[in-house]
Amino acid sequence: MNPDTLAMAFVGLYYETFDKSRADLGSLYRQGSMLTFEGVKKKGVEAIVAKLTSLPFQQCQHNVSTIDCQPSGAGGILVFVSGSLQLPGEQYPLKFSEMFHLLGIPQGSFYVLNDIFRLNYA
Amino acid sequence: MDPDALAKAFVEHYYRTFDTSRPGLGNLYQEGSMLTFEGAKTQGAQAIVAKLTSLPFQQCQHNVSTVDCQPSGPAGGMLVFVSGSLQLAGEQHPLKFSQMFHLMPTPQGSFYVLNDIFRLNYA
Repeated sequence: MNPDTLAMAFVGLYYETFDKSRADLGSLYRQGSMLTFEGVKKKGVEAIVAKLTSLPFQQCQHNVSTIDCQPSGAGGILVFVSGSLQLPGEQYPLKFSEMFHLLGIPQGSFYVLNDIFRLNYA
Repeated sequence: MDPDALAKAFVEHYYRTFDTSRPGLGNLYQEGSMLTFEGAKTQGAQAIVAKLTSLPFQQCQHNVSTVDCQPSGPAGGMLVFVSGSLQLAGEQHPLKFSQMFHLMPTPQGSFYVLNDIFRLNYA
């Protein structure tokens, strides 16, 4: 599959899962996965899902503006996303940037080895 | 060296070189390096330096706000995620940007940029 298509498909799946069924994000990470969320570092599926499901908002909607991807060497794909995050009750969406490093698994799918998220303040 | 310290040192070196001696960036890339700059893809040190030195501004100053880094896997690579602002000469307001680097170790004990993705963050 074309890497750009793959990146788009992954990003679509990731944010759809985040926005509708956040606890299910666990299936996209593995034991060695790392998340840095606004400077806070977490490692492993459990800790990462715990962090994401405990963020101070119940609902949210990610709207993706740009997706860039490149092969990372050793079969991985780097995906760089920018977009906005709408929280209920907030008048203005928050802007964010996020990068994922995806590695292939035998079933032909990918998991997130590295994940770094930052809000882009005005 | 502590990875966070290494990432910060690299980022400072990169933007200082960009802002004061842009052709010098060639030392930080190799033949297999990839740059995606505002969606435009370039590969290889020569083409990358040509792209960066042909950007439509002579002078600029990068001001870094955040630097995050993580090891990228068994090959010893490091992912560095930067956000900051870019002040162009003559412009009243700086541009916000995000950039990610994937650094790979060289036999000499240094690092080079294998992957580089740059995006402006529009308001």
